[in-house]
Amino acid sequence: MHIPDNYLSPVTCAVMGAAMVPVWRKSIIKVKTEVSKVRIPMLGVGAAFSFLLMMFNIPLPGGTTGHAVGGTLLAILLGPYSACISITVALFIQALLFGDGGILSFGANCFNMAFVLPFAGYLIYKLIKDNIKSEKGEYLGIAFGSYMGINLAALLAAIEFGIQPLLFHDAAGQALYCPYSLSISVPAMVIPHLLVAGFAEAAFTIAIVTFVKKVSPGTIYEGAREKNRALYGLIALLVCLTPLGLLATGTAWGEWGLEDIRDVITEGEVLTFVPKGMSEGFRFDAIMPDYAISGLPEIASYLLSAAAGVSILIILFKVISSLKKDKLN
Amino acid sequence: MIENLKKPEMNIPEWLTKKEEYIHKADKDSFLDKSILSLFRLLSRIQKQDKGSETKIKINVAINILCTFSLLILVSVTKSFLFVLIIGVYLLLRLSMQEADHLVRVLKTSFAVTFLTAVVMLPAFLMGSGYSSIMVTSKVLVSITAVGLLSQTARWNAMTSALKAFFIPDLFILILDITIKYMYMLGELSLNLFYALKLRSVGKNNKKYTSMAGIAGTVFLESKEMAEEMYHAMECRGFTGEYSVRKNGKFTWADGLYCLIHAGFLALFFYFYQLYRG
Repeated sequence: MHIPDNYLSPVTCAVMGAAMVPVWRKSIIKVKTEVSKVRIPMLGVGAAFSFLLMMFNIPLPGGTTGHAVGGTLLAILLGPYSACISITVALFIQALLFGDGGILSFGANCFNMAFVLPFAGYLIYKLIKDNIKSEKGEYLGIAFGSYMGINLAALLAAIEFGIQPLLFHDAAGQALYCPYSLSISVPAMVIPHLLVAGFAEAAFTIAIVTFVKKVSPGTIYEGAREKNRALYGLIALLVCLTPLGLLATGTAWGEWGLEDIRDVITEGEVLTFVPKGMSEGFRFDAIMPDYAISGLPEIASYLLSAAAGVSILIILFKVISSLKKDKLN
Repeated sequence: MIENLKKPEMNIPEWLTKKEEYIHKADKDSFLDKSILSLFRLLSRIQKQDKGSETKIKINVAINILCTFSLLILVSVTKSFLFVLIIGVYLLLRLSMQEADHLVRVLKTSFAVTFLTAVVMLPAFLMGSGYSSIMVTSKVLVSITAVGLLSQTARWNAMTSALKAFFIPDLFILILDITIKYMYMLGELSLNLFYALKLRSVGKNNKKYTSMAGIAGTVFLESKEMAEEMYHAMECRGFTGEYSVRKNGKFTWADGLYCLIHAGFLALFFYFYQLYRG
């Protein structure tokens, strides 16, 4: 679901980025006023969770791959505003270091995964939880909220892809950016997510929320027992398991490289051209593109990327927490 | 009572009735504030170290020092950028387990030094030897971070016992030991002297800089006296100049893991070495 650069026109990117500005502003203000200095590192832990979940690629029907995001999970654990900040930072590290998701399309990716996903997921979760007042209701809320959250995000990404050929094409009618219209992009993105990735997200969310509730309820309810060690242990375990994400060999829909896009087959037809906006567009070379390091075996570099990403995220939020002043009252 | 007292004469001396327009001249004493602040930082750091419970996972200091030194040597000798990268990620992981203020301190020093190195290496980078300049800069970043982590994870007074394990002469250990202990007391002393100087400098005091020498001299004299007194006190209590280390440090699982990781790095180093030659 990470939209790479040049798949969206710069105008779309600018609009999506502008739409995110008030969301970020509100989230930062909320986090500044409501999250205490001690709990800010938890945002880093959340960002690390999201970062790791996005590394577990799952094969989807149709030969593409997808992944969970953990947006609803973070919204339940930390609150939707903190989740927005956490996922934004995780996406930023992914774009900058690993070239997963573009720099120009950062705003659009944030809109889908850091704004719509956690907020929609959290709203649905809250709605169900408040109406069915039992433990079952809560779990139903978690499952349904996370399932709907990721599918909404996928739908939005598909719409962003799909409106490109309608709005931006050259005189000959050839698409400048993403070449697939809504009739192709929406089913291609949404059906696999509805069938597989949504369930993966729900499963991850339920598993981790249950684990946190059992081991460290203080993470959710302030004042209760908090055991960060168990959380860090879970993160370490997830880091060790990330090479499983390499088993899915396909490329995610809409994330083809310049060399591959010419040969992508859609509905039995090969796309025979490279859209002009892509071949001549903005290029940014990430430090470890696609979580690969030249000279290292795939698994080792994937592990190394996971460890580096997770530690950078945790360090980042710890530094932020040290900058925040303690309230005197 | 009051009636018995003589009524005081009510004539005010002339100099008091004069209207005086004293304008407080701006004085420059930022160097004083800076010295006081940096002293405070040092003192609070020593105090915090004395409180103990620095890190959750304690590694034997001797092992820690040995492993860090071996890591430094490996990093400086290696010709493989991948090896530096892997060590870098390992250090990042360890950093992420530190408490926030320790972590910030380590990062501050390592970034400052790396920035300086980068500036020094900039001409080389521009002249075309990009690989080696990036290599040197990243090696510096990794090395400084490793040393920073060592100084954050190991308490200073525990270092002396570690030095004994490396057969460092007792005289050096004695000097180091006394230095660390007296840094705090002398720091407090100079802090008080700085306060005195600040309080007594009313208005513009141009002679403040000359007082600095006085402060340094007083601290030196005081330290000499204190050191002598302490040495005598130690002798009275039976100190013969020999340090003996009680062997009560057990080899914990954390130590084992730590050694294992560093042994892994050694193997990795030779793997990359072979790769580079072949």
